[in-house]
Amino acid sequence: MSDAPRILLVKTSLDGHWRGLSVVARALRDGGFHVIMGGMLTGAEIVRAAVDEDVDLVGLNIGGHVQVVERVIGELRAARPELPIFAGGVLPPSSCKRLAALGVETYPPGSSLEDIVTAARRLTSKATASNG
Amino acid sequence: MQGALPGQAPFHRGCFPQGYRTKPWRIFQLSGFGKPEDENARIKFLLEHGETGFLMEHDRNTADHLYNSDHPDVIARREDVGQTGAVMQSVREVAMCLDGIPIESTYGHAGGAVVQHAPFALAAYWTVARRRGIDLARLGGTGQSDFFLTYLGCVTKQQVPTAAGLRLNADIIEFCGEHLPLWVPVSIAGYNGGDTGLNAYQELGAVMANAIEYLDEVRRRGRMDMTAACYRVGGVNFRTTMDIFEDASKLRAARKMWYHLLTERYGITDERALRMRLHIVTSGAMMTYQQPLNNIVRGTLMALSAVLGGTQSLGVSGYDEAISVPSEHAHQMSLRIQQILQHETNLSAVADPLGGSYYIEALTAELEKRGWEFADDIAKRGGFLATLDSGWLHARARDNQVSEEQAQNDGRRTVVGVTDFHGDTTPFEVDGFPGVNDAYEVARERLAAVRRERHEGGATAALKRLEIVCKSTENIMPAMLDALEAEVTLGEVGEVFRQTWGDWQTPELV
Repeated sequence: MSDAPRILLVKTSLDGHWRGLSVVARALRDGGFHVIMGGMLTGAEIVRAAVDEDVDLVGLNIGGHVQVVERVIGELRAARPELPIFAGGVLPPSSCKRLAALGVETYPPGSSLEDIVTAARRLTSKATASNG
Repeated sequence: MQGALPGQAPFHRGCFPQGYRTKPWRIFQLSGFGKPEDENARIKFLLEHGETGFLMEHDRNTADHLYNSDHPDVIARREDVGQTGAVMQSVREVAMCLDGIPIESTYGHAGGAVVQHAPFALAAYWTVARRRGIDLARLGGTGQSDFFLTYLGCVTKQQVPTAAGLRLNADIIEFCGEHLPLWVPVSIAGYNGGDTGLNAYQELGAVMANAIEYLDEVRRRGRMDMTAACYRVGGVNFRTTMDIFEDASKLRAARKMWYHLLTERYGITDERALRMRLHIVTSGAMMTYQQPLNNIVRGTLMALSAVLGGTQSLGVSGYDEAISVPSEHAHQMSLRIQQILQHETNLSAVADPLGGSYYIEALTAELEKRGWEFADDIAKRGGFLATLDSGWLHARARDNQVSEEQAQNDGRRTVVGVTDFHGDTTPFEVDGFPGVNDAYEVARERLAAVRRERHEGGATAALKRLEIVCKSTENIMPAMLDALEAEVTLGEVGEVFRQTWGDWQTPELV
């Protein structure tokens, strides 16, 4: 089995647009990550998938209200406090600030794929170190 | 391609000889959020400021999935409810959204962009009209029921399979043929294919392949005159992007391809049916998150392309498109862009002003040629529905998504404020439109009220009747209208659909 870092990508909303998620998933795969596509999941389902798949990083694709995202982050932190999370998608500047306050990096539209892959490397290497 | 004048077959130079001199394009903006009364206020705002038709957006969480607001998947994301359209689970809520809007004299779009939602959205709108005493035979308007959105661009968690979707659309087309002669029942939206990644000729070819599925199905069923069917399916939505000449040429090629498709495949001779009427929306994907006021310029240029290409109606994406649904100000800007183009420039003075240019004529011919090749490729793979079911069309979109990103990454494509020219000095803080925070709670109360106050026996019987009709080959629209009259709700219709047809097996998207 590959020892590539494992990333779970999920949609927190019921908005089905997938273009942004697709481009990010491809870039992460090309960057050497094992990407697991979770689809549209609720907070509880995201926690279960993160645990079952034993992932090193969770990427949240946002197409809805920041309060939903904050609740999902809370549920993930309760189950796996050490698991890093980053987020992308339709995120107004004020939502980015709210998520930054929770220690979650955000990549709104127009973010470079290179920056996203670099962030994934940094976040997963930290996770491995703290687990180690 | 020489010889033809605007208004003459094969219509690449435009539908009508006088172009915009006899009829300006319709100013037609997507609008909606929150509670039905919030959406109502925004629609009225737009109409007061010069919009000449209106579009209703239904909440994506509930409408796209046919879930009521008390569905567990909606409850888990309750703050999302109402962010992208008003929550309308019953005719009561649709009536609130339309309150005080003269639908007998104002061209309306009833929503129902997602295929499985369209029968509910249309029947609810028509029920409101009937209750106002409006004769449906005299009611103009449209819906969408678009396969590109539903099965390609915005794939929901749970929806009916493509074959069931085709049946629903054929039902709507036939029902309008019989009862609503002024209504445009479905609108193929190449736009949604384009913004997902299809390029210009792929968008053209896929639109033709989609039309073939609808028209072949109507012909196979044999209940409707084909000239009437072709006329009804001939209101089509494309996108324009920043590629001004290619997109103007794309609209010219689209009309010509439509003419050839209808004359050659279906033997249509009626000129009215042979003219493809266009609705253009400027690409949302072109709108940037960074330096959002630049999007006013982008919206203007994409609108220019649509007008040069001879569109019948136009929506300009909001400058805050990458951040949220439009704020009131962004919506007003979209209107002002169109009004400036209509009133301050002389764009309307001549039909097909680009016609005869070597570049434009060559581009139009090339797009037509490649568009047909792409349509043939789809046909070889079993047709439009088969390429959605297999994920082949998604893969074509994905290839382009990746190559566009690469072009941006390695400096071959410049996007101002994104790839280059960073740093924004602006007195405006654009944080998007926050919406309202009580849409979910109010939707729950209203759902409870409907259940409490409706005649339960009548609703149950109407729902049962709908179920029987879904399982037959009968047209579902009469039963849908009866169900909505009996206050059957959105989620109950969804349950019937899911029980009857099951879920679409979504192909691998990523």
